[in-house]
Amino acid sequence: MKLYEFEGHRILAKAGIESPFFIVCENLEEVEQARMRLSFPIVAKVQVLSGKRGKGGGIKVVSSEKALVDFCRGMLGKNFSGEEVRFISLTRKINIKSESYISITYDTSTKTPFLMYSAEGGMDIEELQKNNPEAILRVEIDPLNGPKEKDLKKLGNEKLADFALRLWDAFVASDARLIEVNPLAIDAEGNLVAVDAKVILDDSGLARHRDLEVLPKGAASAIPTQREIEAKKIDEEDYRGSAGSTFIEFDGPPRIAGEAGDIAVLASGGGASLLVMDALIANGGKPANYTEYSGNPPAEKVERLTKITLEREGISGCLVAGAVANFTDIYETLRGFAEGLKQVKPRVDFPIVVRRGGPRQKEAYEMLTKLGKKEGYDFHLFGPETPISVAAKKMVELSVAYKNKKFSS
Amino acid sequence: MILVNRETKILIQGITGRSGLQVVGELAKYGMNVVSGVTPGKGGQEVEGIPVFNSVNVAITEKGKVDVAMVYVPPLMAKDAALEAIDSEIPLVHIFVEKIPILDVSKVLTCANKKKVRVLGPASVGAISPGEGKIGSIGGPDPDKVFSKGRIGVISKSGGMTSELSMLLSNAGMGQSTAIGIGGDLLLGTNFSSLLLDFEKDNETKAVVAFGEVGGSAEIEAAKLLSDGMFTKPFVIFLAGRFAENLPKDTSLGHAGAIVGLDFSMDDKIKMLKSSGALVVDNFEDIPKVLKKLIR
Repeated sequence: MKLYEFEGHRILAKAGIESPFFIVCENLEEVEQARMRLSFPIVAKVQVLSGKRGKGGGIKVVSSEKALVDFCRGMLGKNFSGEEVRFISLTRKINIKSESYISITYDTSTKTPFLMYSAEGGMDIEELQKNNPEAILRVEIDPLNGPKEKDLKKLGNEKLADFALRLWDAFVASDARLIEVNPLAIDAEGNLVAVDAKVILDDSGLARHRDLEVLPKGAASAIPTQREIEAKKIDEEDYRGSAGSTFIEFDGPPRIAGEAGDIAVLASGGGASLLVMDALIANGGKPANYTEYSGNPPAEKVERLTKITLEREGISGCLVAGAVANFTDIYETLRGFAEGLKQVKPRVDFPIVVRRGGPRQKEAYEMLTKLGKKEGYDFHLFGPETPISVAAKKMVELSVAYKNKKFSS
Repeated sequence: MILVNRETKILIQGITGRSGLQVVGELAKYGMNVVSGVTPGKGGQEVEGIPVFNSVNVAITEKGKVDVAMVYVPPLMAKDAALEAIDSEIPLVHIFVEKIPILDVSKVLTCANKKKVRVLGPASVGAISPGEGKIGSIGGPDPDKVFSKGRIGVISKSGGMTSELSMLLSNAGMGQSTAIGIGGDLLLGTNFSSLLLDFEKDNETKAVVAFGEVGGSAEIEAAKLLSDGMFTKPFVIFLAGRFAENLPKDTSLGHAGAIVGLDFSMDDKIKMLKSSGALVVDNFEDIPKVLKKLIR
């Protein structure tokens, strides 16, 4: 989970890292209030999850009330890098003597955390790596004992070593996957101040930070849709198997991926779900969402996810697809699907393509066939002998036919 | 065959839990030798005739050494369970558990490294050498439906796709030497490259097929191995998750390690794999056809 800058500063503050004084505003009244507690010049920063805020004009130093209000009015509620600006932080401007870069994250090759520091800050680390890789100092961190004192000495001075240690404390205490302070400023008094804070939390670590005060986020964007929030709750309330922890709703602008899709996807498995989406798109289909359930979740979890996924307007097909399961009980999970399906309002009349294999798949299909006959659902059931790509193609064809029929009548 | 065979002796941690109970029966059915089980506080009980102990240490003292410890406990207890197995120097620790915090995984892998213990996972479905043996939940209650004995090595982060890929091969008359789901987490104990080194040494394996995905560096590490001439058998790979390249950077998908923009892009992967001599297949269903040409 990627955090807003202001949420990141709060996590740093708990480890004793100083940030410039700031106030977060949601509307112009709050801007008005906040202004009285700050003196000009003020740094106004839009709070969005995408990087490049500076380059995109989302950060502005303002020296008058008018400039401040103009900036905030032009930004609040507007689209910035495909994201609605809900917050602007008004920050005290500090006197910066020099800017540097510092971060901690995991190396997927060594499987351990490491710290990166560069005396040249302010620009992207990718740029820095390209332009001046020698300027980057790398410190390996033992995940059990933290950074070694002798390694931190390489940073050159005690204040910086102390800052690095606090950054590590914040990293551990919040179960972060990445903490990056860029720029890390040295002010006129020689103090180190975190002018920016980029924090990505480890989603698997959230289970032990129930008290964390951060706003809910979407899987792909800052502001989750109602469905994304509902889907996320399913796993938070029950750790058995997974269902819906990753739910991305594709929904016109300013959300990602352009136009809204019309094929609801209930995929199974982290790997197969990728194949399912690729196959659907390759065949000209437009997914309404990405989600997956896996790891043998109980029927109730699939039931909830089904209801959330299908109760959306404008759906013209539903693809339930996954690989041949190893240990996921297909009967139980599809029973959950059936229960969820029955609750969807208005009643589902679009085609439903199911492609599954694995434990108790036969019983599951018998159950669905019976249900289809009784309730009149338009099921198209495919076993493991049918490739996922073929089922995806079938789904696209059926949904086109459904739309043609619906719009011609 | 690699990692597991007919002789493999197994200890199950979390044997009395929901997924632990399920896997015991499946392993017994496949003829595996489950020597002991561990659940703290439930020592003295039995599960399907297998004695349960309070700790790994006691289990080994009472019932003897094992080749593999399988970790089937809730996510926040997995670190301690795995560390217990590593402390006892069980050569292979298979972690089935999903959603273990990254910091815990990093600690486990660091300790394993020090003790020269191999970790498979986390979030790994397991490994199977068809007709010989299996560890973990791979193949579920009926592995013969999907897997067949043969000479192709199969690797994937995804458990489902390990099965799907093996079924595709079996249906085309190509059996598997060993099929392994390495797990979908960001940090993994066993990655593509270390398995390729094992397959290189394994005389029964003629070629290896892999299912790769968006995010991470597993495919790149494999490509490097091929480029360096350390894996010389045919290597066929399919990559999934192209759709996600349009999503914002840092978006994570079903697998914890499938993070958009992390380490390498899809195009980077394809380019490096191709130049390393790997065969990148565009259509999943074409894999058997491509393989047949290569190993003729």
